[in-house]
Amino acid sequence: MPDWKKEVRKRLSGLNLAPAQEAEIVEELAQHLEDIYERSLKTGATEPGARRIALLELDDDRLRNEIQRSQKPFREQPVPGSGRSNLLADLLHDLRYAARTQLKNPAFTIVAVIALALGIGANTAIFSVVNTVLLRPLPYKDPDRLVMVWEDATKAGFPRDVPTNANFIDWRDQNQVFEGMAAISFDNFNLTGAGDPERLDGRRVSASLFQLLGVDPQIGRVFTAAEDQPGSERVVLLSYGIWQRRFGGDPGIVGKPLSLNGASYTVVGVMPARFQFPTSYDQVWVPIAFTPQQAADRTTHYLKVLARLKPGVTLSQAQTEMSTIATRLQQQYPKSNTDVGAAVTLLQEDRVSDIRPALLILLGAVAMVLLIACANVANLLLARAAVRQKEIAVRVALGARRQRLIRQFLTESLMLSAMGGIVGLAIAYGGLILLKSFIPENISQAREISIDFKVLGFTLLVSVATGVIFGLAPAIQAARFNQSETLKEGGRDTASGGSGKRLRSLLVTAEVAISLVLLIGAGLLINSFLRLRNVDPGFRIDNLLTMKIVLSGPKYREADRRSAFYKDLVQRVEALAGVRSAAVTTSIPLYSDGNSITMVFEGRPEPPPGQEPIIETRIISPEYFDTMGIPFLKGRQLTEQDTRTSPKVVVISEAMARRYWPNEDAVGKRIAFGKVEKPEDWIQVIGVVKDVRQRLIKDPKPQMYFSHQQTDFFAPEDLVVKTDVDPTSMAATVRNAVWQIDKDQPVSDIRTMEEVFADSIARQRFSMLLLAIFASVALVLAAVGIYGVMSYSVAQRTHEIGIRMALGAQTGAVLKLAVSYGMKLVIIGIIVGLVAAFVLTRVMSTLLFGVTATDPATFTLISLLFVIVAAIASYIPARRATKVNPIVALRYE
Amino acid sequence: MPYKTSRVLDRELKKGSAELLILSLVEDQPRHGYDIGNLIERRSKGTLKFNVASLYPLLYRLERRGWIQGRWVEKAGQRRRRYYRLTAEGKKVLAAQRNSWREFVEAINRITGIEHA
Repeated sequence: MPDWKKEVRKRLSGLNLAPAQEAEIVEELAQHLEDIYERSLKTGATEPGARRIALLELDDDRLRNEIQRSQKPFREQPVPGSGRSNLLADLLHDLRYAARTQLKNPAFTIVAVIALALGIGANTAIFSVVNTVLLRPLPYKDPDRLVMVWEDATKAGFPRDVPTNANFIDWRDQNQVFEGMAAISFDNFNLTGAGDPERLDGRRVSASLFQLLGVDPQIGRVFTAAEDQPGSERVVLLSYGIWQRRFGGDPGIVGKPLSLNGASYTVVGVMPARFQFPTSYDQVWVPIAFTPQQAADRTTHYLKVLARLKPGVTLSQAQTEMSTIATRLQQQYPKSNTDVGAAVTLLQEDRVSDIRPALLILLGAVAMVLLIACANVANLLLARAAVRQKEIAVRVALGARRQRLIRQFLTESLMLSAMGGIVGLAIAYGGLILLKSFIPENISQAREISIDFKVLGFTLLVSVATGVIFGLAPAIQAARFNQSETLKEGGRDTASGGSGKRLRSLLVTAEVAISLVLLIGAGLLINSFLRLRNVDPGFRIDNLLTMKIVLSGPKYREADRRSAFYKDLVQRVEALAGVRSAAVTTSIPLYSDGNSITMVFEGRPEPPPGQEPIIETRIISPEYFDTMGIPFLKGRQLTEQDTRTSPKVVVISEAMARRYWPNEDAVGKRIAFGKVEKPEDWIQVIGVVKDVRQRLIKDPKPQMYFSHQQTDFFAPEDLVVKTDVDPTSMAATVRNAVWQIDKDQPVSDIRTMEEVFADSIARQRFSMLLLAIFASVALVLAAVGIYGVMSYSVAQRTHEIGIRMALGAQTGAVLKLAVSYGMKLVIIGIIVGLVAAFVLTRVMSTLLFGVTATDPATFTLISLLFVIVAAIASYIPARRATKVNPIVALRYE
Repeated sequence: MPYKTSRVLDRELKKGSAELLILSLVEDQPRHGYDIGNLIERRSKGTLKFNVASLYPLLYRLERRGWIQGRWVEKAGQRRRRYYRLTAEGKKVLAAQRNSWREFVEAINRITGIEHA
């Protein structure tokens, strides 16, 4: 009898069945064959005939295929017509496959994920700032109906001027478009009584303000209309912060008295923790309560005006109405209101208009960084796709469709970008902590910056978009390749030639162009910042201590009392060891816009309304120039002998002398504050000092200095102290000197002038730093990109280089060959980048100082820097090529 | 080529009905492979015939799906044989397949005009 088992086993060999299983199949089938054999014999077949009949049953190929198929795990058959389960199954398959691919190549994965994470992280961080500062609605009720109303004095150079009391009242009473209108004025309050005296920022506001904002107090109540009247305005609302800090969150605070500026106020309520208006610095609010005299004032511009649009009224309707009212007021009060219109702006707009350009530019910059990261990863994927041509060829041969391949490649890219997104989120989180410490404090809402769902959604979107962007090119490239070509080349890389190489070169060129734009942008900002920092403010900032000492309350109502205090203070401070000199002033430079006054000049006609020269003014003590180190040019200084009883005198700045007495000697000339009624009203110019910049970014304006013993338009509130030692070490001693004179006098804002200087350029430093960081990341990514492409191209040409060197090519020639390829890409990229930068940097012009947006020096320098970096990035791999041993290279396959 | 067409139809019909046939045959009692093959051939009067190469892989596949279960049985004086019986799940599948087969046949009959007497 034939050995049926042997026959069956022979046919099953190579199917890799489990031994036990194979044995069972062999036994079962052999039995069946034997049964057939025996039946055939019984029906009269010969032995060879019966054997043949039995073996026919085995139908070799069929058996093997069917057995193999029967061993596959059973899967529910997809319902015909619904592609869903197929898609899902494919997706799961693709995901598993992608995960395996990433794990198999950890170096590749790590590099790609880091590049993507940097890009996505930077985008997320900046977006969360944009989200908080620009996009998140203000924390008031229906904030899109809240507007600011300004005087429009464009002709005088103030398109958004702060209104006068009387204009505010007329606007409020005459308009039909607003639900209500509230006036707000900044004020300082010296809080005394419990604990150290303290100076608080606060606002005097119309009683209706809180209803307009739609915010209820945490405890107590807001102001009533009756409290907005002179005589009953001694009530105060506290911020949550001061309530907690100063009063320990005392729940019974409402109704208690409080000493502000030496007067007693009753606490009526505490605002919620989140409430801030207009800024987070404001701690107290009191009713503005205009006196009849104040209500008629059309000359003092200082108010801010908030209004709420009636439902259904648009911004432009409100603007039209306000312009009509303003025109009417112009006719009614030509002296004060000539050329004064009204401008209505959204509150949100007003809050962010300063910071918006910088933030949008930064957002653009991080988008560019991400694009570069995408280009890099796409390049990596292209290189890998080239290596994977064989795999793809096999899969296409086995019937994989193009869409299916593209889908699988995209799954891989999306998996990479998702990982990049997760790591990027972590980077963003860390970055934000860092970022917050750099954000200048005067940017509203800066403290609330956080990652919320909108930011997460943004990150998700960016990650997916990123995955598609960098994944699509390699996927299409991979799916489009020519199968027979690949097979003919015996598995050699086809993407290294033809369209693959072109695509990779294009990506590198784009990378170079984009990062050049970023670098030039950063270069311009750095350049601006350096110039800004080197601007001579007109005084010495070293060893200078400043602090605010605001005299207020009944004690200092008379100017003489204040003068006496200052005189005493300066004497005491100057007597301290380590102090060289000290002085008081109404404002320190670089900190605020300071005060200005309109003047008339002797012998010149009175200018028409609205065109009086307005001049920056300081009321100082005589030691001010010495203390600040402001050089004296001519004439004499102010002295202690210039008092209320002596002739009025003024020291002016060089710019003022040049502007108003261009070809004459200013010393001896006379000016006045307004109409001169008696000879004593004239003020004589006695000296000229060097210009001082009130704002670092602005050219010095004409300035005047009066003695506090003679003029009391404004009260000095800053003390400046020139020290021989580290100024910060003197802070406590100087403060004690103040308290020796008046133990209730608050001292605040103790800073060195160097800090004031640094703060004044904090915003510029912030933008510059961020853009510089992003540009550096871009440069590194671009360098890595160039390096990658060069390494790859050199590796591809190892064979060729080997032949060249075997034929006697010199190292230098080979080096030149390799480097010139890389440099060609870089030069094209630089040219494209320069053109793009030329167009794009214009959007930054508002952020620049002292350089134009197309500054040739910056453009040239950055391009040179880039050429050097690119040269190094191409040189390293090229050099490796020359080290190739020709024998090895020729064998290399 | 009428002959070829009928052969293609045969093959397809056979493929489609094979599972149903096997499940039906092991419904009442466990049977071994040779028995199953013989019964199909005999009851179809030779119209349907499965050779080893298609029968056993099909059995294995049905077993893997959990519709039938094979077990080695030794009877006195015989060599051991593998008997297949219907599982609970197999019963459900068989019922469903019978239904759809009946519907299918009825539909075909209505269309092709072959009526039961």
